[in-house]
Amino acid sequence: MTWVALTLGRPAARILLYPICVYFLLASRTARRAIARFRERALGRSTDWSDLLRHYYAFAATILDRVYFLRCRFDLFDIRFYGLETLDHELAKGRGCLLVGAHLGSFEAVRAVGVLRRRLDVRVLMDEENAPLMRGLTRTLNRTVADTVIQAGGVEAMLQVKECLERGGIVGVMGDRATQGDRTIGCPFFGREARFPTGALRLAHLMGSPAVLFFGFYRGGNRYDMHFESFSDGVRASRDQLEALLHRDIRRYAERLEEACRLAPDNWFNFYEFWDGEER
Amino acid sequence: MEHSGSSPIEGDLAELIVRTLKLKIDPTAIRPEAPLFGEGLGLDSIDALELSLAISQTYGYQLKSSDPEIKTIFSSLRALAKAIEKNRTK
Repeated sequence: MTWVALTLGRPAARILLYPICVYFLLASRTARRAIARFRERALGRSTDWSDLLRHYYAFAATILDRVYFLRCRFDLFDIRFYGLETLDHELAKGRGCLLVGAHLGSFEAVRAVGVLRRRLDVRVLMDEENAPLMRGLTRTLNRTVADTVIQAGGVEAMLQVKECLERGGIVGVMGDRATQGDRTIGCPFFGREARFPTGALRLAHLMGSPAVLFFGFYRGGNRYDMHFESFSDGVRASRDQLEALLHRDIRRYAERLEEACRLAPDNWFNFYEFWDGEER
Repeated sequence: MEHSGSSPIEGDLAELIVRTLKLKIDPTAIRPEAPLFGEGLGLDSIDALELSLAISQTYGYQLKSSDPEIKTIFSSLRALAKAIEKNRTK
């Protein structure tokens, strides 16, 4: 597919995405049900096959576009920025910035900020062990980008995060998906309890770095809307205050995420049962 | 058996760990050779980072991600105490 994407170009590759999406839509009963459930909760109405196909297509399109982003083909896209001054404002404090995202739209598009605006020190903390295909793709297409990924887990990764923040850089972290061993806090999400990992916000409080929310919405065609909004101003918290602060933060994060989901429901890319106690 | 007891710096470090991470255990309960993170005490990598900040403040030893020994250093109380002894500036 990477070959198709780069040789035949984006329009041809996008046509090929249709049969691929139909295949996955039919083959993945569990994922399909999870997405249908998400859509029903988020939108309050039932989901039909055309909604699901559009949802799968949005996901496939952002995966395809990752190839072009990694090749720095930003010229192919209409990328709009909203609230970028928030990021500048927080970075001016000189304590780096945690960019807290979600599996909503394209997080990869955030690299465009570094490339299009000016040379920014952007690193992304992620669990690549669980995404070996993606890691392979990143390594093949852009070694420089691959080297900016901080593989989550272990003290070494956390020291890399600290060093990047101390240099005044940006560290991107996902705030929505808890993996095994993550500390989580439960909070209502579209009216029902879900568990969110606290890692990103714990880092912000520990390092005294500001946190900015980031959503890279895919709007169809070649358009991406990148939204930045300030989340917390980076005051170091003591251990005694921490639990209460994290509960407040997670609740607020979940509220902002709900709002973002309503703006772009097709961009929800957690293809598994997100809520507690839902069968997998 | 000398190696099963704690050296003075191990005792101080165990206290620093308990105090920094607000653990509800007695410092002497941290066994010098047991794994510090992951299992046992239930500490994760962000706790490790918090501890490294406290170590830098207390002992003037800046732990770095580029240190090839970093994983070994954080493997146990004993290993961490040894590294501090070797690198401390205060």
